[in-house]
Parts: sequence; structure tokens; C-alpha cells
Amino acid sequence: MPAAARKGSGVLKENLRRRMGAWARRRQGDDRLPIIISTRRVYILPTRAGLAFAALVFMMLIAGLNYTNSVALMITFLLAGFGMIAAHLTHRNLTGVAMRAVAGVDAFVGEHGRLLVTLENSADTARLDIECDVTGGVRAAVDVPAGGTARADVGLSLERRGRIAVDRVTLSTSFPFGLFRAWTYVHIKAGLLAWPVPRGRREAPPEASSGGNAPAVHRVGDEEWAGLREFRSGDSPRQVAWGAYARGRGLLVKTYQSPAAHHRLFDLAAVPGADLEQRLEQLSAWIVAAHARGERYGLRLAEHALLPDSGNEHRARCLNGLALFGTGEAW
Amino acid sequence: MVSAAARSTSAATLVFVASVLLIATAAPAWCVVIALVAATWRILVALGKVAPVKRFAGMRFMLGAITAALVIAVALSFRTLNGLAAGTALLLVMGALKLLESRSRRDDGIVIGVSLFMLLAGALATQSLIRVPLYLLTVWGACAAIAVVADRSGALTPKAALRLSARALAMSVPLAAACFLFFPRVAGQFWALQRDDEASSGLSDEMTPGGIGRIAIDYVPAFRVRFEGEPPPQRDLYWRGPVLNNFDGLTWRRNRATYHPGARLEMLGAPIRYRITLEPSQKRWLFALDSVDTVSRRDVFISFQDRQLSVLEPITSTVSYDAVSYLNTRSQGPLANAARRLETALPLDRNPRARALALDLRARTGSDAEFARAALGWFRDNGLEYTLEPGVTTIDSVDTTLFDSKRGFCGHFASAYATMMRAAGVPARIVTGYLGGEWNPVGGYLLVRQSDAHAWTEIWLEGTGWTRIDPTAVVAPERLQLGIFDLLSESFAGASSFRRSQWLSHLDHLWDNANQWWQERVLDFNLRSQLDLLRKLGFDSPSWQQLGWAFTAGLVAWIAWVSLALRRGVARKKPDRIGRAWLRATRKLARVAPARAPTEGPMEYARRVGAHRPDLAARIDALASLYARLRFGRDASHQDVANFEREVRNLSF
Repeated sequence: MPAAARKGSGVLKENLRRRMGAWARRRQGDDRLPIIISTRRVYILPTRAGLAFAALVFMMLIAGLNYTNSVALMITFLLAGFGMIAAHLTHRNLTGVAMRAVAGVDAFVGEHGRLLVTLENSADTARLDIECDVTGGVRAAVDVPAGGTARADVGLSLERRGRIAVDRVTLSTSFPFGLFRAWTYVHIKAGLLAWPVPRGRREAPPEASSGGNAPAVHRVGDEEWAGLREFRSGDSPRQVAWGAYARGRGLLVKTYQSPAAHHRLFDLAAVPGADLEQRLEQLSAWIVAAHARGERYGLRLAEHALLPDSGNEHRARCLNGLALFGTGEAW
Repeated sequence: MVSAAARSTSAATLVFVASVLLIATAAPAWCVVIALVAATWRILVALGKVAPVKRFAGMRFMLGAITAALVIAVALSFRTLNGLAAGTALLLVMGALKLLESRSRRDDGIVIGVSLFMLLAGALATQSLIRVPLYLLTVWGACAAIAVVADRSGALTPKAALRLSARALAMSVPLAAACFLFFPRVAGQFWALQRDDEASSGLSDEMTPGGIGRIAIDYVPAFRVRFEGEPPPQRDLYWRGPVLNNFDGLTWRRNRATYHPGARLEMLGAPIRYRITLEPSQKRWLFALDSVDTVSRRDVFISFQDRQLSVLEPITSTVSYDAVSYLNTRSQGPLANAARRLETALPLDRNPRARALALDLRARTGSDAEFARAALGWFRDNGLEYTLEPGVTTIDSVDTTLFDSKRGFCGHFASAYATMMRAAGVPARIVTGYLGGEWNPVGGYLLVRQSDAHAWTEIWLEGTGWTRIDPTAVVAPERLQLGIFDLLSESFAGASSFRRSQWLSHLDHLWDNANQWWQERVLDFNLRSQLDLLRKLGFDSPSWQQLGWAFTAGLVAWIAWVSLALRRGVARKKPDRIGRAWLRATRKLARVAPARAPTEGPMEYARRVGAHRPDLAARIDALASLYARLRFGRDASHQDVANFEREVRNLSF
């Protein structure tokens, strides 16, 4: 096939695929997890191998009829039936699978973000080689055991800072014979954030202390009781005030504050430079470095500010702020 | 551990090898060797035992050159590229080349496709019953290989692939059967591959005395006969084949050039109706019981002068035809002069002693008929011996048989007798064919083998016309009752012991009967059989279209069955009585309160409903507690379950 023609057919295929997606979207509407893949939403078409197989069977049929050769016809009919069974088996491999959860795992620009899709199989037979894909993603194949669950790890290459929105997850399979491909669309709102790459050579702002010009020394375990607050998801069970819970006061978390309250404050306005992205990257680099050292730090982006804190969750909150800054999306 | 790619390549190559072995007998040895060597190499490379060939500049060109060389080699060895054998050989070498350059899974898929094509070629070459299991095994292997090639992760074990494809094939058997019965068989050919003049056993249209002896040790079936009513006695079963009338002193040939119309034949006695199933002979004639009157094939030509059955195309596949014959005939007119000249011609310088004997005998008898009897008497009384090993023959073959060696086979005696008749001016000719046959009591038919081949003489007698004289019958009268194997058992040391064993003979009958069934019911199944089937199913005047409808109905029924059968495996487990009652309850509740989320537990849901409808809270809570106790508690009695169901039934708002 000449290159131009190949390109042309590729465009045509892409176009058809887009139309098909749009049609399915109109037909199916929005979905809410968990969702069980019903027959109504499973589409199936022969693969290229399947078309070749069909052509082969057709030629065998013509030859068998031409020579009135009963054995050739028997083989032909057997293979034709086999092809149709293959379609059924492929279709069956997908229907009835349940999509339980879709979770994005944020990452820096240039890295692979991940979309974790949890599939559940309530049937007695295992679902093998189910491929999970999203637009612009790296397809992941999983086997879902009978009566069990499996998690597909779809890679997403992150090229730009901000939210990578996923509005459709495609599940597909061509198991067992590769002659047919069955697929389904699940329209859900999911996504993940692409954080700015930690990059920049500037010196981080010096540590400040709420108590004045104390030396910049961080003393671990030298903290002071600061009170209880509501439990937030992500808090460690060790921080939970179980005594209070036992007294029926609900889930509360003990908080402490370092007496010296040494911290750094990263302020976008304080980062010089013309290019916003570069400045955000610099902030990202400072956050990553400060987190690695276990320091407390705060972040100020224009009118938003995050008070000095430390820990994984704080780091993620800060990086999310960087990712979404200026995109118009709340964080 | 074999990698997924290696497994894919090995599976495809093994299927290729199986197909090559299936058609090995139908292709030249060098093609088979090339294919097997390529396959072995490919598997060794896939398993990492041999380093793969590195890609180099001009590799494509070299492969092209090898391809061209092999195509030319095939063309030279067959002198054509058209024809089944040449096509098969081409497929073999092309498949071997594909193996040499295959790298990807797509290539593996192509190799499987080529293998299936070779399987088709094998089926076109021979459809015998004994090979069918091999074909089916290869199909099974090919389907499993498709699964292995499709499996990119390598998680599918060969055993699992075989099991999967066995299941898929088993499920497709009903469809295959329905297709076989109802898929409209288009009559006639779309195109014709040139059939190869394969060296086949059987009678040819010339006879050198002793030639029949060579095919007499051939045990394969020639044809099978099913009689309508009682079969005629064994001694009357002369199966007429090529009639030879041109003798050069050594070889009898069929005279093709001259045509002289024969007189009308009057058929005497009761007609004998029968159906012959003829094995492929690659020849243009059919066999029938002497003398044949009508044959049910439209393309058959019954020659007037010698009652030989000719067809336009060589018989390349097994054919069946009905025929009507009579055992006695009388000619209604004299022999034409041209014919008389032809049927009395002899080379004048050959066999002087036989000619002298004939002239002497004729001079001492009053009529042609008496002369014929006297000559038969001479054959009987002069110590001639019936044997498969008559020894060397000389240029005067008849003289050698009659006077020197005194040994001969049916061909020798027929040739000698006809020569003597012609020498005395009596028109005579040789008829080749078969004599007798073996009755198969299992299937109720007569099996005629190549070993039953026979040659006899016909002479023209005024008044009756052509009359059969079988000189072998006076030399070895037992031949009329027994087959060659029983008669000349010392010549077939191995075969005779085989034939003596009673139960082996019974097995033989069973097997031949299975073959006959295969032939009649499966291989000969055609549009006419399909319409007959429809008639049996109750269609009054079945047609092509109705066949199509029957086929479609079968297809739909099969698809429905397959869908149901396959759904069973993946159906979600049905909830039990408790679960069903709870589902009913939640459906009722959903009408007055928020619906239960799929993951919501009973107590949680009850709390939510209670918050929404405080007036119902107590009832819902009691119901949910009951459900939780039944579901998760130690043991729920029938009474408890029934109570719960009643509670749910009474639930109304």
C-alpha cells in the first residue's frame, strides 16, 4: 500500500472511530460507577485477522462447492462455525464485567500519570486479557479472575501542566482467538493532575520563624499540643484521638505544632522571571526539596495561600495548587 | 520457559508441519523436504537453539530470487502451474519461504492460513474415510494455534488453547451439520483446475498379455455394486470395460479411428437393475454388467458396435450411476463388412503355429460355432496352466503361450483364443473388465476389486451376434467361482493368510461397508440429495429457495442455542430466596424513598430511609434487621425465611 493511501485509510478509520464514539455517547448517556457491562453496550467487529479468516473460509467454500467435495465443505462449515463461536466467546469475555472504581494518580509533567481502573468479575469463568484504555493513554491488559477483582493500570503521558480530564474509559478484548474485537465505552468523569516539573536553580527562601529570628534548626519531636480537629480522609489512624471516639465524640485528630514553627514560605510573587511556567516549576522544585528534607513550608499563589505544614498530603495539596494555577479551576 | 512469541511461532509451524504431512503423498518429495527443513529451522530459531539470520542489504532481493527459482522448479517438474498437484507443490514451497522470512505474529497467522489451504488441497486430493480424522485433528490444531498466536501475554498454555478450541469446534458441529445438509449446493463448476493424469491402477485401453496379471495383485476397490433384487450368480458377473480389437501380435489396442455402426441388439431375459459406485479411475469409461442397456448418466455414450460406455471427462472423483443390463442378447442384423475386416485383422508374420492350428481345426469343423467349441476343447486338453507368473514372452506371444510355456493368465488365453479365431476368419475381439466380486454381507453390496480384473473374448456367430467366450473358464473353471486370491494363493503369501482369517475378513467387510456408507451418504451428497431430504421433511415440491429458508432457520436456531449455552458460564449467580425477597422489598421502598445504592448494606440503607421517612423508620429497621439476621446469622430455618417473605409481601405504603 502506498504511504499516501495508508495515511488516507488511517484518517478514515480515525474519523469513523470518532463518529462511533460520539454516537455511543449520545446513545448511552453518562454513567455512574459502579457499572456492569451489559450486552446493550458491548460492540463487536472482526479484526483484520478475522477478516482474513473469513476470506479464507469463503475461498474454501467456493472451492468445495466447485469440486462438490464434501470433505472440503465439511471442513469449511466447521471453520465457519468456529469463527462465529469465536465472536460469541469474545463478546462473552466482556459482558458482565463490572467497573468498580476509576482513580487517577497524579504525577509530574513528563512522567506517566496513571489511571487505576478496578474491574470486578462475578461470573464463574475468568475474564482474560481485558484491555483498558482512555484517549491518549497507554493501553493496559488485565486478567480478572472468576469471582474476583483486578486493577488495570492505564498510563497517561503528561505533556502539559493542569488537569487531564478523562471522560471515557474503553474496555476491549479480542480474547481468545483474536478474530473479533469487542469493546465498550464507559462515560465517567475522572482525571488526574499534571504537576509542573520540579526544575529551577534558584535558592529557596530562607526559613522563617513565627517567633522571630530563631536559628533555622528543625527539631523533630519537640512539638506542642495544638488541639483536636475533624478527621479528614488521609489522616493516619495513629493521629486519631481514639479516647475521644470512645466517648462518642466522633472521629477527631490530634494536632501538634512545633514551638519554634520554623518554616519556609514559597510565594509565587517572590519568584522573579517573566515566564509563569518557569516560575511554577521553580516553586515545584522548592516544594519537592523541602518535602524531602521533612521541612514545614507554606505556599502562596496570588490570593490563595496554604498555611505552613508538612507531610505527603500537604505536598500533594501544594503541587495540585501549582498544577491548577491559572486554569480557572478551583483547588 | 518459552516466550509468548516463540510459542506463537512454534504453534503455527507445527500446524504447518501437520498439513505438509497430510499432503506429502500428493506433492513431489523435494517440495516436502524443503517445507519440513524450513519448518524445523523455524522452530529451532524460535526456541533460541539456532541464531536467526541477520537482516542484510539485498535480503529482500535474495528471497525474491529464491522464490522465482522455486516457482520455476515447480513449473518445470509439472510442466504447468495449473492443476491440483502443481498448486499443492507451489503452496508447499511458498509456505516454506514464508517460514523463512516470518518474524511477527501476523506472519504466524499467515502460516496458519497457508496450512489451512494445504488442508483444503489434501481434501481435494483425497476424501477417503480413513483420512478424515487426520483432517479434523489438523483443523483442531490450527484453531488452537490461532488462539496461541492471538495471546500476546503468553498466559494461555497450549493445553488451555487446545481445550478452548476443542470446545469452540464442538459447538460448531451442529452448524456444520446443518450447513452440510441445507446449504444449497450449487450444481456445476465455476472453474476447473486441470486434473493431473495421475498414475492410477486399473485397466487401461490396451492390453499386453500379462498386463492384467500386474493389476491382479492390486487389492484396492474398483467399484461397488448394489443390486435391486437378487444379484445374478457369480459366474455371470462379467463387468464390461474397454473392448480391444486392434492386435499387433503382442498388444491389443482399442481402435479409435474407425467407426462402424453395429446392428441393433435384442435384449433377452429379465432386466437386472443395479447401482454402481465407481472409484476415481482417471479414465474415460465406465463399467457395467454385460450387456448394458441403459445408464442413468446424461454424458454417457454407449458405443453401438462394442457396447462400451464412454464419458466425456475422465472420472476424477467417485461417481455413482444406475444401469440396467441383460445377461443374454441377440443381434438383429449381420456384421458390416468394414467391421468384419477390422475384427479379423492379424499381423501376418506373427504366431505361425497358432495360425496353422486354427486353420487346421477350422478345416475339421463344419461351422464357426463348432470351430469355437473345438478350439475351447483344445485349450482344455493341452495342459495349459493358469498362473500369475507365466514367464517371459517372445515376439510370438501366442505361440509361446500355447506351445512353449503352456502357462498363462486370463489375458494370455483371451489373446491366444482371439488370435486363433481371427486366423480362421471368425471376427473376434478382446473385452477387458472384471469378473465376479466379493459379496459384502454387512452392507449388502458387491465389492469389485482391481484384483478381479479379467479379460475374455467375444466372437461373432451368425444368428446370435457377438458371443462371449471365456477361454480362462476352461483352463481354470474355478476362476468363475473364486477370486484370484483364493485361486492363486501361493502367489500372495502375505495376502492369503490375511484372507483366510475369518474375523479379519469380517472386519474387512465392516470397514468396507463404512467406506461405502461414507461414499453414498456423505461424499455423494448433492443438491438432489438435499431436495430428497426436504421431501422427507414434509415439503411437497422442494426447491432451491426452500433449501435456503431451511438453512437460515437452522442458522438462527444454532445462534440462539450458542448464545444461551455460552451465557450460562458468565451469568451472575441468581440470588437465593432471602436475597430475592430483600430485592423485592427494596424495590417497593424505592417507590417512596431513595433507591438503595448497589453497595449499600441493609442497616445503612434502613437508616437512610428512616431519615427520609421517619414515619416508616421503625418498620424498615425491623425488616432490615431481620434480613441481616437471616443473611449473616448462624442458621435460618425455613420458617424464618417464610416469615421474612410474608413481611415483605405485606409491605405496603
